[in-house]
Amino acid sequence: MTASVISAGSVPRSGRAAQGAIELRRVSKRYGDVVAVDELDLTVQPGEFVTLLGPSGSGKTTTMMMVAGFEEHTAGSVLIDGSPVDTLPPRERNLGVVFQNYALFPHMSALENVEFALRMRKVPGPERRQRASEALDRVGLGKMGDRKPRQLSGGQQQRVALARALVFKPAALLLDEPMAALDKRLREQMQEEIKTLQKSLGISVLFVTHDQDEAMAMSDRIVVMRDGKIVQSGPPEEVYNHPETDWVASFLGDTNLIPCTIVERDGEEAVVDLGGLGLAKVRDRGASGENYAVSIRPEHLKFRTRTSAGNGCAATLLSSTNLGATVRHRLMAGGHELQLRELSSDRGAGIVPDEELWVGWDADKAQLLVLES
Amino acid sequence: MKTTNPQQRALALFSIPVFLFLVIPTAIVVPVALNDSRYITFPPEGISFAAVAGFFADRAWTSALTASLQSAGIAVVIGVLLGATAAIGLHGRKFPGQPAVVGLILAPMIVPTVVLALAFYQFFISVGMVGSIVPIGLAHAVIATPYVYLTTRASLAGLNPALVRSAQSLGAGALSVLRHVYLPVILPGLISGALFAFSVSIDETVMSLFMQSPGATTLPVKMFTDIQFNLTPKIAVSSALLVSVATVGLLLQVMFVLKRRSSARMLPLAVSAQT
Repeated sequence: MTASVISAGSVPRSGRAAQGAIELRRVSKRYGDVVAVDELDLTVQPGEFVTLLGPSGSGKTTTMMMVAGFEEHTAGSVLIDGSPVDTLPPRERNLGVVFQNYALFPHMSALENVEFALRMRKVPGPERRQRASEALDRVGLGKMGDRKPRQLSGGQQQRVALARALVFKPAALLLDEPMAALDKRLREQMQEEIKTLQKSLGISVLFVTHDQDEAMAMSDRIVVMRDGKIVQSGPPEEVYNHPETDWVASFLGDTNLIPCTIVERDGEEAVVDLGGLGLAKVRDRGASGENYAVSIRPEHLKFRTRTSAGNGCAATLLSSTNLGATVRHRLMAGGHELQLRELSSDRGAGIVPDEELWVGWDADKAQLLVLES
Repeated sequence: MKTTNPQQRALALFSIPVFLFLVIPTAIVVPVALNDSRYITFPPEGISFAAVAGFFADRAWTSALTASLQSAGIAVVIGVLLGATAAIGLHGRKFPGQPAVVGLILAPMIVPTVVLALAFYQFFISVGMVGSIVPIGLAHAVIATPYVYLTTRASLAGLNPALVRSAQSLGAGALSVLRHVYLPVILPGLISGALFAFSVSIDETVMSLFMQSPGATTLPVKMFTDIQFNLTPKIAVSSALLVSVATVGLLLQVMFVLKRRSSARMLPLAVSAQT
């Protein structure tokens, strides 16, 4: 590496008009015969919070590492703010990265960690320290600047990592399972903090996680990945309520999958035959395959009176389990075992004593999907 | 750990004699060097620094000491540069033939010294370099490099690979990554390796003997040749000197490790000081 390459001049200066758009065009990553990422098309709009969600081995982390420049893609192109960065090393991509275990420099204080990127950009000392302490203030660690990483709690280290990744005003922020090492309560708190910070800075975020709750809580858009491919993408509610395949439906939480045959469909809605549960009108995204099922989330099944409008059928109660905030009932209806979840505070709402037990659901909460497995 | 159980007593029963067996011959040279006699005798007849003064007054011995320190200096500088860069370069990387590369680096630890000595002797003769301390220092650098490589590699095992990536993502180039990520992590290993390199060179006799020349006679070589004709207490003094150097080196290492409270991924601190 020659002197000119490592000079500060080649590192993008902060303050450049960075919009923060990330675009992947048919990006692939192969290791020999193994395809880790398969012709991925993905766009993160400026200011958008996009989550790559998938099980381990789905290629989500590899995808992020290709955006950051740590992994070289074997085909396709990565663009940041419209210009290809395929040949740029990581340090010239101007992206803030937060790693799974924060990767703070252990021998540097929190403040020195945050200063590092500014130091690499040859920002003069006083300005550097001021900007670094402002960044630490922003994550609520203004008084912890002197501490070494090992003297900080997991949550505090996480905040330092965040401040360090933001201090040089990067084009976008890449977060690789940043909350994996935190306990549940702290994780939820950090989710909110990161989301608030992201909104106030208006920065684009590409977030990688295998935790569907985290993805639901934080994202503007969820991109569900499996085996190196995108299987579905959309706003959290849409992906959750209207999964295209049974795999997506199950990955994003509990669901009732009822095999069905299509009677008629128009691309928006369909009439399906649910066997023992009769005919029902359901939502349809037009996905086609060999076998179909209807997905109804447990919380969308309701106890109803027989006369209520909409879909429904008689059921018998098998068991009920109190889960604290919610109660889970197992039911048998039309030859299918179904789960129904209701709030503990509403327990038994809709049940009419001395009448046959009846469950129903709203047509727009039942989703026609393709059975893969 | 106040109560001693039978196992601990058995262990002590075994290890204390072994420890004494190893330490006594090494330590015995110190009273011999301070003996008030013209010959090497034990037990000492009286304490005197005459032999020590005689050693430092004798130009033949002081120039041997200087030669040893010069060759050790060359060995440490080159060994540290080669060993550390090899360890960093090979860290976390897998490629075909990598075991062969590692084997090549470690080979000087395994190849019999006399074979190396002959090879170096012929090589330096053929390029016309014999006659100064430089070829001896270079040969010592070759046998010192594996020690630095091993200690550096051991301290690199504690390096979080994400640190390199995070430094790069923050704008660090290769040199900055080396300085801010690798150096703090490998420093204990580097110092440990440098001390090893130093003691390996100071102690080395066979190669130095092959390549010796007037003005390029190291301390062990001078001892070896003198011992055959002229058994004076100066030999005991040089032995004591080598033992002290090794001991100081070991203590420095221990102090440094304790101070750093690093995860102490180091080789067993076995500085050889047989003279």
